[in-house]
Amino acid sequence: MRMARFALVLVLLVTAVRAERADVLLAGATDAELKPLLERLTGAHVEKQAAWTFWLGTLAGRKVVLTRTEGDPLNAVAATTLAIRRYGPRLIVTFGSARAHDPSLRAGDVVVSEKFVAFDGMESPFRPEGGGSDALAWTTLPHLLMTPGEKEVPAVTFPADAGALAVARSLRATSGRVVVGVLGSANQVNREADRIARLRAQWGTSCEDGESAHIAGCAQLLGVPVVGWRVIDGAEGDAAALVLPFLEAWK
Amino acid sequence: MSGFTMLAPPKSGRWFRLRVALGLLAGCLLLSAALNAAEPVDVLVQGAEQPEVDDLVAALQKPLKLAIGPFSFWVGTIGPHRVAVSLTGQGLINCTAATLVGIEEFSPKLIVNQGTSGAQAPFLGLHDIIVGRRAVDYGNFVSAPRAAGQGSAPLAWTPVAQRLRDPATGRLVEFPDGFAGDPAALAVALRTRNPMARVFAGIIGSAHEVNLELDRVAWSHRVFGMDVEEMESGHVAALAHAYGVRYIAFRVVSDAPYEGVPFYPLAARATGLFTINFLENLPAL
Repeated sequence: MRMARFALVLVLLVTAVRAERADVLLAGATDAELKPLLERLTGAHVEKQAAWTFWLGTLAGRKVVLTRTEGDPLNAVAATTLAIRRYGPRLIVTFGSARAHDPSLRAGDVVVSEKFVAFDGMESPFRPEGGGSDALAWTTLPHLLMTPGEKEVPAVTFPADAGALAVARSLRATSGRVVVGVLGSANQVNREADRIARLRAQWGTSCEDGESAHIAGCAQLLGVPVVGWRVIDGAEGDAAALVLPFLEAWK
Repeated sequence: MSGFTMLAPPKSGRWFRLRVALGLLAGCLLLSAALNAAEPVDVLVQGAEQPEVDDLVAALQKPLKLAIGPFSFWVGTIGPHRVAVSLTGQGLINCTAATLVGIEEFSPKLIVNQGTSGAQAPFLGLHDIIVGRRAVDYGNFVSAPRAAGQGSAPLAWTPVAQRLRDPATGRLVEFPDGFAGDPAALAVALRTRNPMARVFAGIIGSAHEVNLELDRVAWSHRVFGMDVEEMESGHVAALAHAYGVRYIAFRVVSDAPYEGVPFYPLAARATGLFTINFLENLPAL
């Protein structure tokens, strides 16, 4: 094989041997989502890199790092990648609000991640000019994840960490139920009922938000466990209220 | 009788201590290499799939391969430039992580993202290359409410611009037109030969989508000005912008729905060879 003639050097992905480490990365979309946690963070200090910010400190006795995902896949994956490289977290938690795909969900219900799907991948069958566009006929295009040795593997869903999920599902919601489901994400706001039903049929989504599954995909790509929860039509701060009880219970 | 005993003397005495010392020294050197990572490069050249990087890797002088997490980089020289060739993998998740690793490990002065694409403009044919005047993320939208049974109207969806936070002001800034290609690199690229077909300046759209409905293709061309669609350029352009690194994208047409041309993966060779020509034409940075 041609590649074999190259000398190979393995470089560490995590650069945290030279920097501060954190046990848990907490990823929220906005300042308002993060505010209740930043107010409780002790020994806090801020680090920045390009367009992304990291708040380091202690919450519930654990060393944590918080980052702001801006609620879209690009910023979320960028912030997650940088946080993994800089702080080497043992767990990533993505939290926030979401819109329901599962018609049985009610406002205030909390969906915790059995798994995640990035449902932004699509392929349309050929239609000639004048034939229109029919999103209900589109097929799915799953993400691929790169693995060492130049192999890409298809990943329709990204798994949640089993231990963290067990803790998350034992949390109590402020108003609604806690249910286990599939967190879907895309940089989309879908408000067409037929398309929502189609997405749910194709991908198995419980709800949609702007970044959770892309964070989970990044976590799987870089080999870090992940868990997430989303409050259906939640106000900013609702999902953050579950972070402290989670950190206290998680081993 | 076995050669094994000759190669592995008893684990005692001066020979063993010497081997331990040499092993420790080698370990320290390797660890040092790992911690200090890579030397800076002039140009980070990215391809999403193996056929998009094969010719570039083969063109490297004095090559060295580095594996960083799931990503492979091949470092060497092409023309006057020190180059890192990066196999990013397909789509936003892979290319975002690979680009950040590439920027942080190699501190490039210029990023070239190159590979295959689907034509969104009728004048383009197989092997034509679009040099990105702009690269834009076109996959984001908000749809208006429609009740059950009312269907879906994708041509009426409202696009959502990629946003980046400006570290100077702390404000989120929208980039509805995407990100401009580096003017100097664009000028050199437009004077560079594509050995297989034509070269045009144009607009490259990125999303995790393959669009073969000609009315939606025309919509993308009309709304975003897109000449080709693919899955990485607009995302990498945003990251390069955030880091203040010069950026240019090249995309060869590998499928053309207006012409009924299905995906032809070997078209990747055209951008690989074009990129080598570009690097040889590009003055020292």
